[in-house]
Amino acid sequence: MASAGSGDEKAAAAAMITLISSDNEKFEVTEATATLSQTIRHMIEDGCTDGGVPLPNVTSKILARVIEYCKKHATAAAGEEGSSSSFSDAAFLEVDRAFLEELEEFDDAFLEVDRATLFDLILAANYLDIKGLLNLTCQKVADSVKGKTPEQIREMYNIVNDLTPEEEAEIRRETQWAFE
Amino acid sequence: MAPPGPSCPPLSQSTRQRVPASNAGALPADVLFDVLLRLPAKELCRLRAVCRSWRALTADPLFAGAHAAAHRGPSLLAKFRDDEAGIHVVDLRGGVLKRIDGPGGGHELLCTRLDLACVATKGNSCHVLNPATGAAYALPESPAPEHAGHENSRDPYTFFASGRVAATGECKVLRVFNRTEFDAFDQQQLFEVFTVNGGASNARWRARESHYLFLEAINAAVVGGVVYFLTDCAYDLMLFFGVNTGVHPDCIASFDLGTEEWRRDIQGPISRSLSMDDANATEEYRSIWHKLTLSELKGSLVLAYHRRHLSLDLWLLTDYENGLWVKEYSIRTESAIPTDEYFVKPLLVSDDRRLVILLASTGILLIYDPSTNTFAEVEMRRLDAVGIYAGNLLSLQGGDMV
Repeated sequence: MASAGSGDEKAAAAAMITLISSDNEKFEVTEATATLSQTIRHMIEDGCTDGGVPLPNVTSKILARVIEYCKKHATAAAGEEGSSSSFSDAAFLEVDRAFLEELEEFDDAFLEVDRATLFDLILAANYLDIKGLLNLTCQKVADSVKGKTPEQIREMYNIVNDLTPEEEAEIRRETQWAFE
Repeated sequence: MAPPGPSCPPLSQSTRQRVPASNAGALPADVLFDVLLRLPAKELCRLRAVCRSWRALTADPLFAGAHAAAHRGPSLLAKFRDDEAGIHVVDLRGGVLKRIDGPGGGHELLCTRLDLACVATKGNSCHVLNPATGAAYALPESPAPEHAGHENSRDPYTFFASGRVAATGECKVLRVFNRTEFDAFDQQQLFEVFTVNGGASNARWRARESHYLFLEAINAAVVGGVVYFLTDCAYDLMLFFGVNTGVHPDCIASFDLGTEEWRRDIQGPISRSLSMDDANATEEYRSIWHKLTLSELKGSLVLAYHRRHLSLDLWLLTDYENGLWVKEYSIRTESAIPTDEYFVKPLLVSDDRRLVILLASTGILLIYDPSTNTFAEVEMRRLDAVGIYAGNLLSLQGGDMV
């Protein structure tokens, strides 16, 4: 999808950044992929990425998934830039639509993970400040909570009910309309 | 959590730390914040019963504020024709966010723009309801001492209007006794003010001066703590019988809820454009009484001039002191508004200039899009009345309520 640009753009796209997970695994990614993270973007702007970017809060297992997401979406971003240029004929739009559908399928498949992984992805997206990924994962959790009773949610998320029976009764009285 | 949080609302780190951390290895509070922000108010109220940290987070006023910002879009208060007692909080897609029990028994919903709902009858009963908590408060029925015996207690024919005084934050209700009948000019309209939850010293109605004209109470609008009235169409009837009282159909009276005084009357922009020399113009002039509605748009008084099967003009009062009006909308309605619709009230204007209009006799809401000049009907049960809900369903604070 990456369209042929000037020599400078090619050089920028080829610039590589090394990310280092908490368990010391190194990942080489393009700058376009890495800068989906606002946190890393700021580090690059500040010129402190030489010798790699240590990410002590992210394990290699999660970082690999995050990079997978960023690679896919960085390509998508490049595609969007392309489509906003003068190439807006029907054929081009058709390709665009197909690509967006593919991206949606990718996101759906990407979210097919167990709860622990989903939470780790949220934490990583929050730490790395990747808006799209944070949106996607938070929405997934929000959807899983919709329509559930407090009991079901406690069970799903291993939450200990630390409310006294009196407090719980009071909450239910206050918010009775929400249980109807 | 070193990097700045990417959550939707701007929240300081210290704010976030006030929320207790989640238990049992669940999400940290600031991520939970982002997750729960995506849920509708009803879900959130139910989730308060999950555990302490969820309750603390969802009851936090900062969370409530962020939630209101994230779920932007106005909420309306609606009374449906098929539900005598219920008051509903609805969104503009027609979805019901909440239903609370009103007193029923012929209480009409007033068109307010408050975090409260007011319902009242012609028989001098007025209740103030808090849609967030469901609390209800009945205003006293007895008249101000000065008015005792002067009101028609058997048939009080009351009208109520409610608004908030910006300077003090007080919510006040204006009560009018003796809405006129065509033959009731010997009876004076009586005006009284009540401060909602104003404490023991304000627990009764205060008599205020009467206006020198008979005012048409059904059609009042409250804008920025001022209640605006059109004159009673009895003046039209008098004109019909050859008595020219000199009262123009678009003469507007206004009562300041802050000072509790009448302000100077102002003249609307409609009648002055007609020359009374021309017979057709005289006919047109007389009919104006039945074509006007007062309302509020964008914080200004708006005078709606609806000519059936033809047009709807909305005039905004831009300068009260100098009586300046600006024609903000001039809409060709043609068949978009039913021919038997006689009460067209503009309610809201969105950021993109789309206009929400209540057709009160038909009981439907229309959304007018000026960019395409088209109307769309909001899918909703038939409406009895509608107002704007300026409150927050997540808020448990009583506000003005007792």
